[in-house]
Amino acid sequence: MLWFKAWLETRWRFAFIAGTMLFAWAAPLWAPLFHLRTPPGVSDSRLWMAVHLASIFLYIFAAIYLAGSGINSQTTYSATSGFHPSMLFTLSLPVSRRRLLFVRAGLGALQTGILVAIMAAYTVFQRPGGTTAPQFLVYLARAMVCTMVVYALSTLLACLLDEMWQFYSGFLCCIAAFVLQFRVSLVSWLSPLRGMSLISYPIGGPVPWAPVISSLLLTAGLMYASMLIVQRKEY
Amino acid sequence: MNQAAIETHGLSKSFGDIAALRGLELNVPRGSIYGFLGRNGAGKTTTIKLLLGMLRPDAGRFSLFGEAVDSEASSVAARRRIGFVSEGKELYNFMTVGQMIKFTRPFFPGWRRELEEKYLELFRLPRAKSLPKLSKGMCTQLMLLLAMARGAELLVMDEPTSGLDPAMTEDILQALADLAADEGVSVFFSSHQLAEVEQICDSVCILDEGQVVIDGVLDDLKSQYRRILAVFKSEPPDSLAALPGVDHLRQRGRTASLLAHMDVDAVVERIRELGAISVEVRPVTLKELFLDHVRGE
Amino acid sequence: MQLRVNFSSGVPIYVQLMEQIKHAVETGAVRTGEQLPTIRKVAEDLAMNPNTVARAYRELEREGVIEVRHGSGAFVAVVEAGPKSVAIAEASKGFRNAIEAGATLGLTEPELRRVFEQELSRITGE
Repeated sequence: MLWFKAWLETRWRFAFIAGTMLFAWAAPLWAPLFHLRTPPGVSDSRLWMAVHLASIFLYIFAAIYLAGSGINSQTTYSATSGFHPSMLFTLSLPVSRRRLLFVRAGLGALQTGILVAIMAAYTVFQRPGGTTAPQFLVYLARAMVCTMVVYALSTLLACLLDEMWQFYSGFLCCIAAFVLQFRVSLVSWLSPLRGMSLISYPIGGPVPWAPVISSLLLTAGLMYASMLIVQRKEY
Repeated sequence: MNQAAIETHGLSKSFGDIAALRGLELNVPRGSIYGFLGRNGAGKTTTIKLLLGMLRPDAGRFSLFGEAVDSEASSVAARRRIGFVSEGKELYNFMTVGQMIKFTRPFFPGWRRELEEKYLELFRLPRAKSLPKLSKGMCTQLMLLLAMARGAELLVMDEPTSGLDPAMTEDILQALADLAADEGVSVFFSSHQLAEVEQICDSVCILDEGQVVIDGVLDDLKSQYRRILAVFKSEPPDSLAALPGVDHLRQRGRTASLLAHMDVDAVVERIRELGAISVEVRPVTLKELFLDHVRGE
Repeated sequence: MQLRVNFSSGVPIYVQLMEQIKHAVETGAVRTGEQLPTIRKVAEDLAMNPNTVARAYRELEREGVIEVRHGSGAFVAVVEAGPKSVAIAEASKGFRNAIEAGATLGLTEPELRRVFEQELSRITGE
């Protein structure tokens, strides 16, 4: 029943992002109604890159948005206590804290994965030059793994901060990583943000092993840290 | 084999500078309905949170059902047998009454369906109603239902009747009496409502500033303690306070009011020897015991 | 037998129950051999602690006022109309008159109780 509770906590967030994505997906259908067309002079490939970057933004947004709430609270309760009082009821149940964290995080991760898949499918199959199914699956795998780092980081932030701060600090961390990857070559080499991108690592090109492996390790590390925090926390 | 439902030794907890609990020694016998009294901030909620694993003690140890609870695993094992009602009575406000029950049920293999039905009807809680629409009293009743229907051996409750009207309160007390009679369920609850504690509890403990100041079977406390009012010709002598068996002393003008326990007759003798012109002995209510022990001299 | 308990009184609850049951037996409100309500029923009716009821029954059994037959319940024991019960019945009348007189004078229950305790300690103290 913990899965059921997690679903009830996150369903509107999931619906909101899924709705946004499906709305974007349907653009070719509704754009003509508003007489929207590609501006002249913009090539197909430039348009596609813009759509692709937007989809990466949506992966990140989904990961951050779905990781918040549930671990610490449903909504911010008060500045001082930092957790929703219904947490006391949850903690009185015969469930280990580790299980509480992993069910909640697990469902959010699953939801994030689904949303990444939707958006990835949308952008990849619109790519000028076409994409085969195996190529799509390879991209999907690395996009999911890299997005999971953002998800794990957001989960860790959710264990420490209240909802509003978790949301903003998640984005701040991504922006910081983005800026760093242009300045520090190590960060650039390992960056999950680049791992998600078809601009840095195009289809048909070499598989970005460095970002993928660093993402797996980072995800594991961040989730482990989250678990330690949740286990030690005092309510 | 009659282990205590709850036993604590030297349990201490501080929050920064504030010492919430200072060496708590508690013994709650199995099958008793135990009232935990104290002023706001005395440490009652802290104790309950420590017992349920929401906080970790700074010092001391405790056991539930005779088994030491010193790890997460032992805490989880104990919680399988415990029903909890929090002070704020907050549940998941994105669920309905029915969903709350369906959510809680699978955690407890000993869930009592017949109690669930009985209390749903008694408290008139509609399954389809969502929690934000429930009044505070109904939230309390739902939380009590969830605690009682799970087949727990011990109920731990933080101010279970606060916010309830007298009719609801009586329903709850009757339900507790029923559980205790039927299954020998132990009940441990903190409260400010002395009247209810006197009605339903067989044992009480008064907590003040993180320590136990009085505890025992309520009827025995009432037998042992007496209020003695002594009037003297002039100022009551200072040696009054030093009399053995005298707990608290208050003076106003020529009258001294003391709380004595054990061997009251001997105390009365001594007081007469000290020159009292009139001595009156009265029984003591729980309210007097409480106020005398938490308000200081 | 209608049991009533004053939970806020300084008198232990089990003592109050015992006194009421003994009084019911002595005045004939419950007859010899009649079954008393179960501990559970008393606790439920009064919304009070069953352990306390059990204690009252245990003490009454110890004093020989009731007998507990395992599995069947508690029954009023055979009571000889000895001098004690007669004396108690007589004294009850006297107390009843005194209380009524005090009430007529306008004394409240706590005031009546105080007067009683004072007189009692005066007599037993001398």
